[in-house]
Amino acid sequence: MMEAFSLPSRFGAQSLGGCYAPETLMQPLLDLEAAFCAALVDPSFLEELKGELRNFVGRPTPLTPAPRLAGKLGLKALFLKREDLTHTGAHKINNALAQAILARRMGKTEIIAETGAGQHGVATAAACARLGLTCTVYMGVTDMARQAPNVARMRLFGTKVVPVEAGQGTLKEAVNEALRAWAGRCDRAHYILGSALGPHPFPTLVRTFQTVIGEEARTQVLDQSGALPELVLACAGGGSNGLGLLLPFLGDGLRRVAVEAGGHGTALGEHAARLDGGRMGVLHGCKTLLLQDDHGHTAETASISAGLDYPALGPELAALVLDGQVEVRRASDEEALSGARLLCETEGILPALESSHALALLPALAAEGATTILLGLSGRGDKDLSTYQSRLGI
Amino acid sequence: MNPLLPFLMAGDPSLEALPGLLSEAKALGLEAIELGLPHSDPIADGPVLQAAAHRAIARGATPLRVLESLSGLGDSPDIILFTYLNPLLQIGAGELKRLLAPTPIKALLVVDLPFGEESGFESDLRAAGYPMVPLLAPTTSLDRARRILSDRPDPGPSAPFAQRFAYVVARLGVTGTGQDTDLAPVSRRLAELKALSGRPLAVGFGLSDPRSLASIRVMGATPVIGSALVQELSDGRSLREALALRLFDDA
Repeated sequence: MMEAFSLPSRFGAQSLGGCYAPETLMQPLLDLEAAFCAALVDPSFLEELKGELRNFVGRPTPLTPAPRLAGKLGLKALFLKREDLTHTGAHKINNALAQAILARRMGKTEIIAETGAGQHGVATAAACARLGLTCTVYMGVTDMARQAPNVARMRLFGTKVVPVEAGQGTLKEAVNEALRAWAGRCDRAHYILGSALGPHPFPTLVRTFQTVIGEEARTQVLDQSGALPELVLACAGGGSNGLGLLLPFLGDGLRRVAVEAGGHGTALGEHAARLDGGRMGVLHGCKTLLLQDDHGHTAETASISAGLDYPALGPELAALVLDGQVEVRRASDEEALSGARLLCETEGILPALESSHALALLPALAAEGATTILLGLSGRGDKDLSTYQSRLGI
Repeated sequence: MNPLLPFLMAGDPSLEALPGLLSEAKALGLEAIELGLPHSDPIADGPVLQAAAHRAIARGATPLRVLESLSGLGDSPDIILFTYLNPLLQIGAGELKRLLAPTPIKALLVVDLPFGEESGFESDLRAAGYPMVPLLAPTTSLDRARRILSDRPDPGPSAPFAQRFAYVVARLGVTGTGQDTDLAPVSRRLAELKALSGRPLAVGFGLSDPRSLASIRVMGATPVIGSALVQELSDGRSLREALALRLFDDA
């Protein structure tokens, strides 16, 4: 039985991250870190994961040049890393599948997960069906309404979807409820957290299983164009997609940009831009940039995208931003809708609303003089069709 | 031995009612009570305390108002402030010490602060007379329990119960009422812990009926009554009524 963590649990000059967990969860978190470290040096785990990523998830995902969109924006080249083409339609499956395999190795029979946009929930539900694990997903009622197709997909995979009615009925409340459920069943259940947040070791676990995105993209862009782009761009909710794409480019001399949800205004409660107005705080087990009121209560957020409305930025990504390694920008709901439309019309690809926030920033980056850009297309937009229909009037 | 450690949620039913409740608790002979600071994201609490926290926040029970409402209060049991870390961090250790000084608060129970995660903050508060209550869960190994009890040490028999006791979590999960909490593992756990340390022990999570509370007393520990009490106060019962059956073993 492990008694202390062996991996670093803090990030950056300001020591973000940590493990601010209730005592009931401390031993399960210690055990999880030990199992994770053991798995990473176990060839049988690595082989199984690699095989499943290839044969079940569909990796490597393509890097698609987008010449018509590039031309329209005055860019020399634009590359799209196509996580939308993974099985279940978003990058979330990389982590969900890896953690499910890890959980089975640990002898866990039940899986608990939270979900916002539903992509992590669907990915976890699919991984559990494939591995024969029982799965329960906690999802806010607001998100269940706006991402109804994903609720149906989870149920088809045999997962129990538990509606969370508290608060705004979005991701934050779903994480609260998943943490409570885990505390009650931690003797037999593993909690598959979907974003690079929560108590140590989750941020490290999630980003380790997501950096496959950036590692593939870096090799592919060098193969296709013989050079690295000037700029790598990803949307960021908690940070699993942002870190997954950007981390493998950390040693390169290029701009790394994460895009947050600008929502419909700049006042607290109208957006989920943690860099504007976020202060250091502790939520869900880690210390990071947090949207909160003067009393240390978590603030409400707003975004058209269910996957980007989390009130905190994952601690490692926040540390990279504060230490000047990653730039953070914001895109509003309206800009995201325009970004989605532009990609649909020029390249025949329907992006998720989350990914549309990265697309929305392209005109501004082009205007700033960027000429070659690699963009992480984190997910596909089928789940957002009803929002696109009503907001774009189609 | 302390027969009962009741939990109240500050601001529920109202902040105005708090001094009266504390005075009543003192009149009932209670040495200490836990007072919950309402938080927006109470990840260790079940439905009853979540709802109470949200009601209290909606009525304006901010951390500052709660602490100010306790200022200068003499007619009260010792208070253990039950809270989540973030509101305290936002106030900051210096200001927090200033706010705590005129209150009956004697210790802090910070649910999401394992020892060592904020060591400067914790040692600063302990030096000022506000130690953190050590929490021991069913998942806590005995080795880890030994470390927790030495990291958050017993100040000794001259200190009040509030600053000495360790909180033993009776079951997996979150706070809440429970008629069927299995007390056999609790009994074994208490025996193990008593072999480790002579400090007083309180047991909470999932205890509400008089019989369970009495069983905990028989095991030589102080039972904590939280969710059931908060629910009954919110339904309009008086503290005296709610505690009448639970304070004594002849129920």
